Amino acid sequence: MKKYFLLIIPILANLILCAQGDISADNNDMMRSNHKIYVVAAVLAIILTAIFIFLFSIERRLKKLENSPSANR
Amino acid sequence: MNWLYKKWWKCLCVALLFYVIVGSFFVPLSPGISKVSPITFSPDSLYTFQITAYNAHFKNPEAGKVQFWMKSGNDYYCPDSVRIINDNKAEVKFIISSLYQDSIKQPNFDIVANNDLDGTFALREGTTFIKTYTGTKDSLAAKTIAHLDDSIGSALKNESKERITDASVLYTNGSGKLFKCAVEVKHNKHQFTAFPYREILYETIRNTFFHVPMWFVMTALVFFSIVYSIMFLAKGNMRYDVYAHQAIVAAILFGICGLCTGAVWAKNTWGQYWVNDPKLNGAAVGVIIYFAYIILRGSITDDIKRARIAAVYNIFALVVFLLFIFIIPRLTDSLHPGNGGNPAFSKYDLDNSLRIFFYPAVIGWILLGFWILSILIRMKLIEQKHEL
Repeated sequence: MKKYFLLIIPILANLILCAQGDISADNNDMMRSNHKIYVVAAVLAIILTAIFIFLFSIERRLKKLENSPSANR
Repeated sequence: MNWLYKKWWKCLCVALLFYVIVGSFFVPLSPGISKVSPITFSPDSLYTFQITAYNAHFKNPEAGKVQFWMKSGNDYYCPDSVRIINDNKAEVKFIISSLYQDSIKQPNFDIVANNDLDGTFALREGTTFIKTYTGTKDSLAAKTIAHLDDSIGSALKNESKERITDASVLYTNGSGKLFKCAVEVKHNKHQFTAFPYREILYETIRNTFFHVPMWFVMTALVFFSIVYSIMFLAKGNMRYDVYAHQAIVAAILFGICGLCTGAVWAKNTWGQYWVNDPKLNGAAVGVIIYFAYIILRGSITDDIKRARIAAVYNIFALVVFLLFIFIIPRLTDSLHPGNGGNPAFSKYDLDNSLRIFFYPAVIGWILLGFWILSILIRMKLIEQKHEL
């Protein structure tokens, strides 16, 4: 179970980093340029990140299986 | 559960998502007016309005005659002259005499454009008319005509002369609809496939294919989970408990995706990462309920006991989840579309051009959700076999 909570932390950490941007609303100009097309890019990046994190977690579980004594019999 | 190992639906998932992610970026946004300056104007001077459009085709040969109007309430006012600079830029000269300022009830003017290719598009309340002080009507009329004679150049005077004579006639008979002109257009709708142009949203309307289906996937997985929870309670097969548990894990993955994509979208449209919207808070509670499910499972060591308690909790969780995601946001006002109604399926929220991508997107993402679920389930079953 623990690994799923670990999985969430990197995603939420991203939010905390962005929350500091409140002092400089003008820094957000890039996101709003070109009629806000970069917002779509950011959304796609978030979804991809989540899928990659899922893949890494699956791989870790798989490695554990490969190294387990019962699997090597 | 043979379908877990079948390949065809995974291929379908890839094809649909490929179509949506790549295809949707080739569809442009409908034409729209993004900027008009100056944003205020007063009577009796000739103003040159700089109009900046987006995705328009003013210079295109197919566009035909490019027309502009200033619209106040239901009245259309014609500009004096129009100069097209390029596809997305135009200059419009416009004047209102102070004689008629009282006939303008709505001071916020929409700027409306039309051509044969782009159809009709507008910037609502793009510029505001500021009335000057008015004395009695008679003295004002005299003053205005004198003012036009004196201070404005001869070119303008010639331009406005006809109008001024008209004006005095109109003034005397009191109809006051001087500049109102006939509106004749060939097409009202743009002549190519395009997503709707919405102020504030702009290109982010494409997020409909990415943010919205996340919640569809979560709901589908949660329903899958409850089916197996009930089946576990009925038959007691431990495999069903694995299915139900892994479905919740996959659902949380998509729930977090939905929250994060929603936060980024909200920051750039509503202005903040988190606003106090019933749907946002409901979704957050929905995801937290399923975190509690995972924690509950982790706290019980006995296998059968854990499976049973988790299954019962899952049934209650679904009720609360549906309540917070689907029912409460519809009873109150929400920033999300379709408040107090059925969002995403109404004809106002979803254009036909969006539909041809939205429905494949929903199916594609749901299939991806079940693909992830199938990997999680197979993984868990192997782990159990090896007693990890």
